[in-house]
Amino acid sequence: MEISEELDAPEVKKFLRGKAPNLEVLQDKKLKGQLSVREEFYGISAKAAAKAAKWLMPSEGGFLEAEGLEKTWRIKQEAIAKEVDVLSSRNQYDIVLPDLGPYTVDFTSSGRYMAVAGRKGHLAIVDMQNMNLIREMQVRETVRDAVFLHNELFFAAAQKKYTYIYNRDGTELHCLREHGAVLKLQFLKNHFLLASINKFGQLHYQDVTTGEMIGNFRTGLGRTNVMEVNPFNGVVALGHSGGTVTMWKPSAVNPLVKMLCHHGAVSAMAFHPNGHLMATSGKERKIKLWDLRKFEVLQTLPGHAKTLDFSQKGLLAAGTGSYVQIFRETESQNYSRYMGHSMAKGYQIGKVSFRPYEDVLGIGHSMGWSSILIPGSGEPNFDSWVANPFETPKQRREKEVHSLLDKLPPETIMLDPSKIGTVRPSKKKEKPTKQEREANKEAAVEAAKGITMKKKTKGRSKPSKISKKKQDNILRAKRPFLEQQTHEEMSKKQKLISENKEELPVSLQRFASKKPKS
Amino acid sequence: MGENKRKAGRELAKRKMGKSNKRQKQHSDFKTLDKRKKKRLGGPRLPTGLRRELDRVNHTNSDGEDDEIVSDEEKDVYEYEEGVPEEESRKNRRFDPVENYEYELPEKFEDEDVPSDDDENDFGGGKNESSMVESDDAEEEDDERHVRMLQGITGMPNEVFLGKKKKRNIIVSEAYPESEYNPSGDILDGRGHISVEDLLDPLHGKSGYSQLRKRVHQMARKPMTIHAPLPKVVQEKLERKAVYEQTKKDITKWEPLVKRNREAPTIIFEKDVNLGFSTVGAIASEFEPRTDFEKKIAGLVYDEKVIEAHNEDGSRLLELNKVTVEDYRSQRNHIAKLRSLLFHHEMKKKRIKKIKSKTYHRLAKKDRLKATSAEMEMDPEAAKEQAMKQEFKRAEERMTLKHKNKSKWAKRILKRGIPTQDDGTRAAISEQLHQHTLLTRKMKSMKDGSSSSDGSSDDSSDEEDVDENLDSSNQDTKLLERAKEKTLKVLEEDDDEPNSGVLSLPFMVRGMKKRKEAAVEEAKLALKEYETSLNQLDDLDSSKDSKIGAAAGGRRVFGAAKHVPELSSKIEVDNDYSDSDRDDDLGGENVEVGNASINELPKEGVSNLYSLLHDRDLEMHQDSAVKFDNIVEPGPKVPGEVAIFASGKWKKIKSGSEVDTNVKRSSKVVEPVSRSENLEMKTTNVVDANVKQFPKVVEPVSQIENLKEVVDDSDTDSEGQMVDGILSSGMKATYEIPSQADLIRHAFAGDDVEEEFVKDKDDILNEENPEPEKPVLLPGWGQWTNIQKKKGLPSWMLKEHENAKKKREEVLKKRKDAHLKHVIISEKLDKKAEKLHTKALPYPFTSKEVFEQSIRMPIGPEFNPATAVGALTRPEVVKRPGVIIKPIKFEEVDSFEKTEDRKRNAPKRKTNKNKHRLKPVVAKS
Repeated sequence: MEISEELDAPEVKKFLRGKAPNLEVLQDKKLKGQLSVREEFYGISAKAAAKAAKWLMPSEGGFLEAEGLEKTWRIKQEAIAKEVDVLSSRNQYDIVLPDLGPYTVDFTSSGRYMAVAGRKGHLAIVDMQNMNLIREMQVRETVRDAVFLHNELFFAAAQKKYTYIYNRDGTELHCLREHGAVLKLQFLKNHFLLASINKFGQLHYQDVTTGEMIGNFRTGLGRTNVMEVNPFNGVVALGHSGGTVTMWKPSAVNPLVKMLCHHGAVSAMAFHPNGHLMATSGKERKIKLWDLRKFEVLQTLPGHAKTLDFSQKGLLAAGTGSYVQIFRETESQNYSRYMGHSMAKGYQIGKVSFRPYEDVLGIGHSMGWSSILIPGSGEPNFDSWVANPFETPKQRREKEVHSLLDKLPPETIMLDPSKIGTVRPSKKKEKPTKQEREANKEAAVEAAKGITMKKKTKGRSKPSKISKKKQDNILRAKRPFLEQQTHEEMSKKQKLISENKEELPVSLQRFASKKPKS
Repeated sequence: MGENKRKAGRELAKRKMGKSNKRQKQHSDFKTLDKRKKKRLGGPRLPTGLRRELDRVNHTNSDGEDDEIVSDEEKDVYEYEEGVPEEESRKNRRFDPVENYEYELPEKFEDEDVPSDDDENDFGGGKNESSMVESDDAEEEDDERHVRMLQGITGMPNEVFLGKKKKRNIIVSEAYPESEYNPSGDILDGRGHISVEDLLDPLHGKSGYSQLRKRVHQMARKPMTIHAPLPKVVQEKLERKAVYEQTKKDITKWEPLVKRNREAPTIIFEKDVNLGFSTVGAIASEFEPRTDFEKKIAGLVYDEKVIEAHNEDGSRLLELNKVTVEDYRSQRNHIAKLRSLLFHHEMKKKRIKKIKSKTYHRLAKKDRLKATSAEMEMDPEAAKEQAMKQEFKRAEERMTLKHKNKSKWAKRILKRGIPTQDDGTRAAISEQLHQHTLLTRKMKSMKDGSSSSDGSSDDSSDEEDVDENLDSSNQDTKLLERAKEKTLKVLEEDDDEPNSGVLSLPFMVRGMKKRKEAAVEEAKLALKEYETSLNQLDDLDSSKDSKIGAAAGGRRVFGAAKHVPELSSKIEVDNDYSDSDRDDDLGGENVEVGNASINELPKEGVSNLYSLLHDRDLEMHQDSAVKFDNIVEPGPKVPGEVAIFASGKWKKIKSGSEVDTNVKRSSKVVEPVSRSENLEMKTTNVVDANVKQFPKVVEPVSQIENLKEVVDDSDTDSEGQMVDGILSSGMKATYEIPSQADLIRHAFAGDDVEEEFVKDKDDILNEENPEPEKPVLLPGWGQWTNIQKKKGLPSWMLKEHENAKKKREEVLKKRKDAHLKHVIISEKLDKKAEKLHTKALPYPFTSKEVFEQSIRMPIGPEFNPATAVGALTRPEVVKRPGVIIKPIKFEEVDSFEKTEDRKRNAPKRKTNKNKHRLKPVVAKS
């Protein structure tokens, strides 16, 4: 495959991140020159990046292809197992743990480690590469959710009353009392924030590096355990029983967006990795795909989902009852059925989660957890600077420091983070009201009255002189306000006159100024 | 001009006069003749008669004169001269002094005009000339005579002298030799002529002569006027202009060079500049001896002999470093000794540090005693031990009599007699004796206490085996009894009264009586209390006993009561673990309360409990009488998926189902366990009516299990049936069709959701832009007559309202969610995020779009390949520290290179060229 040298080539265009500015509008020659030089640098960089991508990311993701009348969703896991290599077939398994209740699973960003939490207090960390159980413990308390923090060394578990942070060895490091009885946890790995929604519908943001509570908001929409983070911008979305989805950021008390997605309660939600696509599922048995740039429905799929998840390549998994369904985007930009998998009867799926950088779907259910193969779900090439499944401890340490240095402040969470650095949106600065203006004037006058006079000699401090000076001061303080007022009045008059002029026929315009105003 | 010069000459002479007096003497001898002549010529302007007289006198005097006299005379003449007003004015420096300074006397001046060095003469001459020029014809006679005389002496023609004289007469002070630039007096007079040929002749034979001659001829043939030269200022200006044009032309050659440097993204200043030595060693290696001293030293150091010797004897020199065994040993011993000393010192210090002061020990002892006494009070066991110890000590003391003046020291003191001792010793002795008495004293109180406790413990020891709890109650009774005894004793003792002293006084007696009465009252009350509590305790004991007794016998009656402790403990265990799922702690508390109440109210009996339970259930019964049909059919009820909805819509149904279970239970279960469970159910909003429970309810233990299940369910929300699926081993709960009610609920769940949302949105919009108030008609305002009233509201009001409405709509239209019915997008500005934006457009930018597009690409190493990052982030100037930036040097730059590149169309542009163009400029420094 030859990468063309053109900047218009799609491989290169991807790295140019948008159009170059139109330099023709610029008057400043120097700036023009500088910008054109910059643009050329960008072009060189994009080309180099395209080349690097070509050489360093050789593998391409595959997917199931049906022949003739065959349907991809008819293909069973057993059939896949026969075809794939040994390493991949190892990823098909069921772990049956009937005693400790429905399980939830969470993967680290590299997909190497998995945290498993059973409702009845069973917590475990598993190394997925060699299927090694790193640590297992029983907290003897309800565990509702568990998430990894920035790496596999720490994870947070939402337990009966409080949320706890454990390290890999199972040592309790922190007890986060302020969060209350948390139903669902999410970790924002770029901002180092732990977001939680508790039983009373309160959304908490806590900075895990400093322990500072960044935000504490009452949603006022009742109890929910549907919470997802938009990976693109860090906005936390909550699904509520009224069918609404609210999106939050830690620096605003009110939701950024509140949208009515379903008529029934929202039961699950997921975000596409590019952040522009949201999938929600409602109790009224509909799964909807939303375009988050326009806040419009793209597609409505029939069916119910207790849990949803997008894979890195954009496959959508929906789990309900004991059945998992996978949707895939077709050429016509629509999601359609791609695969399905039914568990043993009676297994109730609680959570589906795609394993990053692998074609694997992890399923947490009432009888343990399972793992199935979904061809084409994971990103085939990993970037070791982003997430390295084969990370050594040294690399992990280094990355921890790097990511801490690159930690984003919570204010950077916004709907469109690409707007950062641009010109501040103009404030709708309304004119001060008449009352405000009056108040300002009063304040100025008071301030002028309060000025103490210097004692002067030779009769310049005579009472008469002082009083005169005071009067002068007051007048001076009033003056700008009065001037402004008159100015405004004048401008208003002018406006009126001009309006009138426009209205009047030519022959009558000469009388316009003489006409008394109503 | 001439005057000026003359004046200057005179002034100079005047200044020199004082200094050059002696020189005058020396010169005067051989220059008398000239002097004479000058004298005659010089002097003030006098009438000729007088002058002649003076001359004669001078002549006579000068023949054999002394210099002194002459000078004196001259001085006299000078004084006289000063009287002349014109001269005076000159002396007062009325002329510009700067002009005077400008004038310099040329060296030739003296040689030509004034033969003598004497300034006086010169002055005189000058004077004379000036006077002559002015108008003295009489002088000419003298001159002629003088010429004649000269002619006689020299024998030269008259003209020579005359001409000379003439010339001298006109401009005597002229300082320049005669030449074409400085024409002689004749020419100026117009008497002699210098033609061009005259001037040209000396040039004959030199280069360019013929040309010059030709030009001259031309000019002669064709005479033309020559303009006067331009003023200097203008001339200079023109000159500058020309120079500027020239330099401008010259400087344009730099333009492409400078342009290239300006346009280059980076300028690098010569990378390979030798910065000199980097290390001291490098500097030293380059050292060359220059001065004599250095050379000498170098000669010594690098002397061949020395080097040779060093090479040869180096090893031998090293031998000196060898240490003998003895030396080594002695040294080692020394070190060992030092080490041991150090160690001992350390140990000593440690010991000393451990030693505590007397006061410390005293205080410590006090503390210890306090602690032991406190312990004794708290713990009978410890008290016993203490007593044992005390006993042992007493025995020891009685045996040894250690403190009874038995020691050597005490004996010695006693021998010497106590009164002779000082206070300290005496105190010590008495202290010792006191110690003895203390030790030997029989510890009566302790003994009593221990014996009594022994008795009681004897009693209780039996009971302890049975039930430990009883022990405490026994102790309680004992305490109470003792208290009772004491109070009784006090009451009895009260009777004896003091017969004498102050207390026997009547008013005192009265007061005492009053107080006593109060005390008696109190004591009686206390007694009563004691009695009641004692009774209670007895009852409790008896009931307990009876219970224990009954446990063996009747099962029916006390069955529940028997299970109580067991049960409670079980429930507690549950609390630890399985109860954890409850929504809040209320449930747990309730259970505990229930248990407590069971413990507290054993007497009330089960029936009481039952009735209570029943009542409550009945209440609920009445509440939800409508739902009874549900209860009646207990068939294959679906435990299915019934989510708990936080919204109030579901409340009714929920309570109904809750009552379901309650009623069912109440009909069957008569045990307190069910009650606790009931409570549980109440707190946890369980909707699930688990039918499977019913047959098992009889067994309390299984019930608890069920309870556990239910509690678990409570939190799992809609996952409830999942747990059932696992735990109810008998019947696997597969997916079952939801009940009709559930379906209906689901179907109509979102009917009002939309309306609610629209209302919500309206609220938010109104909050931001409130709707304008409707114009209200105020009676008496804006209308005066009925006619107006009929018209309705005044038009301006309506218009205002209309405008406000329009404005609001416009604002609302501008919102991002204006056309999105089901979306509310917050328009609030985030103040915290404001710092992430620029306040204004950065300077060189004029267009917001261009700026925003220009920052779209990240330039960090995370986002760009390593090969491109360098160029993106390179600074404008790259320079190593220490490099001196030299001024720009001229070099040929192809100024059209870039423009050519631009003209080329895209496909032709090769990366090679691009790279070449974007290469940073390397400036030669």
